[in-house]
Amino acid sequence: MKKQKTRRDLAFILPAIVIVAVMTQVPFLLTIVYSTLRWNLARPDMPIEFAGFENYLYFLRFPYFPEISEFYRIVWQTAVMTGSALVISTILGFLLSVLLDHRVPGINIARTLILGPFFVMSTASGVIWKTTIFNTTFGWYGVIASSLGASPVDLLSNYPMGVIIMLFTWRWLPFFVLVMLAGLQSIPEDLIDATKVDGTNWFQLTFFIKLPVISRHTTVAIMLGLIFIVKEFGLILVTTAGGPGTSSYNLPYAVYMQVFNASNVGRAGALATMTVILSLLAVTLVYRLVKRQAAIYE
Amino acid sequence: MSHGEIAHRRSRTTRFGRSAKVAVLTFVIFAVAILYFFPVLYMFLTAFKTEAQAVSPALFFTPTLQTLRGVLSGTPMVGFLRNSLFQVVVGTGLCLLLGVPAAFALVFGKFKKRGTNEKLYVWFITTILLPPVAVIIPLYTWFQQLNLIGTPFGLLLAYVGFHVPIVVWMLHSFFADVPIEIIEASQIDGCSRFQQLIRIAVPLVRVGVFSAGLLVAVFIWNEFFLAFNLTGNTTATLPVYMARFREQQGMFRAQLSAASLVAILPPVIFGWLTQKSLIKGLTLGSVKG
Repeated sequence: MKKQKTRRDLAFILPAIVIVAVMTQVPFLLTIVYSTLRWNLARPDMPIEFAGFENYLYFLRFPYFPEISEFYRIVWQTAVMTGSALVISTILGFLLSVLLDHRVPGINIARTLILGPFFVMSTASGVIWKTTIFNTTFGWYGVIASSLGASPVDLLSNYPMGVIIMLFTWRWLPFFVLVMLAGLQSIPEDLIDATKVDGTNWFQLTFFIKLPVISRHTTVAIMLGLIFIVKEFGLILVTTAGGPGTSSYNLPYAVYMQVFNASNVGRAGALATMTVILSLLAVTLVYRLVKRQAAIYE
Repeated sequence: MSHGEIAHRRSRTTRFGRSAKVAVLTFVIFAVAILYFFPVLYMFLTAFKTEAQAVSPALFFTPTLQTLRGVLSGTPMVGFLRNSLFQVVVGTGLCLLLGVPAAFALVFGKFKKRGTNEKLYVWFITTILLPPVAVIIPLYTWFQQLNLIGTPFGLLLAYVGFHVPIVVWMLHSFFADVPIEIIEASQIDGCSRFQQLIRIAVPLVRVGVFSAGLLVAVFIWNEFFLAFNLTGNTTATLPVYMARFREQQGMFRAQLSAASLVAILPPVIFGWLTQKSLIKGLTLGSVKG
């Protein structure tokens, strides 16, 4: 009787486990296997053979020593765009949620407008910004710059990292507001009233009481934001296409270029594996950092 | 409690001063919100322009449905739209079908080894961390060998695999709120596990099921990386179609805007309608932990 029940409970979970394993874990393990092979899709005449760490070394070594290899530059770029977007989203996200935590007429409409970009698909937001805002002749940026007598420069090729950080932030800031505003609204009124009695001013109330109280929500926003931003791909493809050169590649974009343009399965596997490892490291590191910060508050 | 009220109570500002403060605050809030939303707002407007009207960035013009109608009839967009609808409807359905019982059994199930529930739950969560680049190479080669690129089923399988963990994650905390006494009592009354799930547990957490389904639907509708790499011309979804506009340097802005309108309106409306349950699902799923 008992055994039968156990089996039935397992039957509830098993289909989910199977599909998740077959579509995520098994391919990931295979990617690791591929990363040790010499395998080029464009050269079917060449045998697929074991290559050890050759593919990893291809990215990790310094062929022109004083110069930094491309791989490290891309890792750095990924860290800069993800990190900047996260920091800006956290700061602006908190300030915006404080602003939106007021009961003024039509506040729900304003909240709705701010939330909007989060639900817009990345490729659509990329092309909208590219054609209606950043375009130097037809876009709002170009029109406004020209009317002010300045000659608009092509932002996408001159400041690709700045543009990408801005777009990442535009798309993910609403998510931070969503979570942090929920935090602010869950603060019990008694607590706020109590601080009133103590004569706390606005600044103290906002940064020394509200900010620490919602630290859990902030942690959630930062962690989920990191997990999603670090794998962003579509926005880069449709705006700068990683360029000029490789100056706005992030790691997922580099993996994509390695598989579909270089057709080198082994190297792409090595790059993908390192991307996963670095992403997980970043998640762990940021989690520790945020947790420690939150612990100080608590 | 709103800030205005508090400030009022404390400083005993005059009635005039208070309403002036509210007016200024309202103005600031709306200025920020409209500015933030402006690219989308402007795109909404441009969707109702003709191509000739779209050349100037005017905000006032005679609206027309011509461009929208053109996008929804002649162009290849309809095919992409149909593919997207298929992925969202079938994909979300399958995710719920697999994820809801799994989350239920993870909370209430009894396994031979103690701690199995916890371990399996953590396993599901860690797969959320896995970026799609980690799986794309094998999936791509498999799908080519199995001829799945030309059918919607390859992408569908990938979507189910990637989004079931999200359903499990969100619903786990909802099920955990269901008092175990209710489940035990129903067991004594002779309910099978399946009946417990369908008749008792799911109705109690329907807000959770709803918001999890909605979040997954929005994710699938907007997903680009897998769709871009695992589909062919006849099976690609809307994000892939939108990406095609990247090469047109400022051309066809009315057409682009009309297409964007169709592509982004459903998730934006769905998202807005369900903000509250979404916040609840997202924060419950993680803030508690």
